[in-house]
Amino acid sequence: MAAILTAKNLKFMDFLRFPDLSVERGSAAFLCGPSGTGKSTLMKLFNATHTPTEGTITFDGQDIAGMDTIDLRRSVLLAGQKVYLFDDTIRGNFEQFYAFRGDPCISDEDMREFLRLCCIEFPLETRCQPLSGGEKQRVFLAVHLSMKPQVLMMDEPTAALDKKTSRLLLSQVKDYCKQNGITMLVISHDISLVGEYADQVISLSEEACE
Amino acid sequence: MSQIVQLDVWHFALIYLLLLVVITVLRFTKINQTKSLLWGSARMTLQLTLSGLILTYIFQNPSPIFMALYLLAMISFAVYRVISINKRLNRRFRLIIAASIALSGLAVMAYFVAVVVGEHLGNPQYVIPISGMLMGNTMTGVSLGVKSLYKTIEDQADRIETLQNMGVRPEKLFLPFVRQAMETAILPTINTMVGIGIVSLPGMMTGQILSGTLPTTAILYQIAIMIAICTTVCLATFGSLYFGYRTLYNKRNQIEIGGAA
Repeated sequence: MAAILTAKNLKFMDFLRFPDLSVERGSAAFLCGPSGTGKSTLMKLFNATHTPTEGTITFDGQDIAGMDTIDLRRSVLLAGQKVYLFDDTIRGNFEQFYAFRGDPCISDEDMREFLRLCCIEFPLETRCQPLSGGEKQRVFLAVHLSMKPQVLMMDEPTAALDKKTSRLLLSQVKDYCKQNGITMLVISHDISLVGEYADQVISLSEEACE
Repeated sequence: MSQIVQLDVWHFALIYLLLLVVITVLRFTKINQTKSLLWGSARMTLQLTLSGLILTYIFQNPSPIFMALYLLAMISFAVYRVISINKRLNRRFRLIIAASIALSGLAVMAYFVAVVVGEHLGNPQYVIPISGMLMGNTMTGVSLGVKSLYKTIEDQADRIETLQNMGVRPEKLFLPFVRQAMETAILPTINTMVGIGIVSLPGMMTGQILSGTLPTTAILYQIAIMIAICTTVCLATFGSLYFGYRTLYNKRNQIEIGGAA
C-alpha cells in the first residue's frame, strides 16, 4: 500500500525527535505512545499549523513545505483535542463552519447522516451549548467528517465517550472512511480500541523526547 | 461678558483641599489607592506646570522647530502608552500603531486648523492644543481597541485553533474579532457625543467660556473638536487594527500571537 503521508528526520524545537514514519493510503492508522511524546504535535506538523525545526513531511508524494497551507489543511483535516462549537443549533454549526471555509453547506439530510455516523441522532434544531462534553465531541466530529478530506486526523476522538459508544462510533466512521477512500489517523490511549480498529499502528516512544 | 477672574496661587491652592474629601472616601471604603491618588495629583500638577511654561515660551517665540518637537513628544508619549499597556504586541504591530496614530492625528489636526479654523499651520496656539486633544483621545481609543482584540483572541483560542485546522483563511478568522475591537474603541467617543451638552459641558468649551469667549463661539469649537476626535479615533483604530492583525500570522498561515514583548 502506498504512503499518503511520510515524515523523515523530523524534529520539532529542541525537545521532540520523531522516527521516520509513513501513513498508508486508505488505512486506519493509530498513533500511540505515552503522553509528551509529540502525538498531537505530529498532527499539527502534518497540517502545517506548526513548522518542523528539521526534516521533511510529504503529502501525496509532495513536500508540504512548498504547498498552499490552506489547501493542505482542507485535505489533511484535523479534528483537534479541544472541541469548539458555536453557540448555535447543530444546523447553525454546520452552516457557520462551512461559511467560514467559504463553501456551500451540505443538505439537512446529509447533516443527519453524518450525525448518525457519529452516534448523535439529535434534531438539527438542538442548541449545542447545553450538550454534554461527549455529545459536543460527536457533533464536532460529524462536522469534520462531512468535509470529506483525504486524510482525517482525530486527536482522541473518543476521550469523552463510554466504551460502547466509542466502539460504535469508530466502527461506523471507519466503514465510512473505507468506502470513501479517506485515510484515518487517530490518537488513542485505549489499547483495546487500537487492537480492534487499527490497520496500522505508529508508536512514538519516550526516547524521542530529548 | 464679565471680566475674567485671574486665579492667584493661594486661592488656586484651595482646590487641593478637595483631595482630602477623596482620601476620606477612599479610607472609609477601604480602597487602598490613596498613594496613587497623591502620586497622580502630584504628577499632573508637575506635568501641567511644565507644559504651561513650555507653551508660554513657544507662544511667545513661535518657531516651527519647537512646535515640531512638542508634537513629536506628544505623539511619542501617546504611542508609548498604547504599547506599554499592550505588552504582547510584535514589532510590526507596534510600528503600524505608531504610524496610524501619527498620520491620522496630524492629518485631522491639519484639516481642523488650516481648513476649518483657517489658521496658519505654523501657529502653535491652535496646533498644539488641538493636537493634544486629538492625541489624548486617540491614545485611549487605540489602546482600548488593541486590548480588546488581544483579549478576544485569548478567550477564543479554541475557536481559532479549530477554524485554523479546518483550513479557514486567517483574515476570515480574525476579521470578526477586529470589527468587535473597533466597535469597543470608538463607542466611548460616540457615547460622549450623544451625552454632550446634556450630561456634561466639555472641558474645551468650559475653558473657553471661563476665559471670556462667547458660548456660541465656544460651542462651534466644541462641535468641531468632537467630530475631529471621533474621526481621529476611528482612523487611528482602523489603521492599527486592520493593518495590525495581519502581523498575527505568517505566510504559511500560521498564527503567531505571542510577539516579542
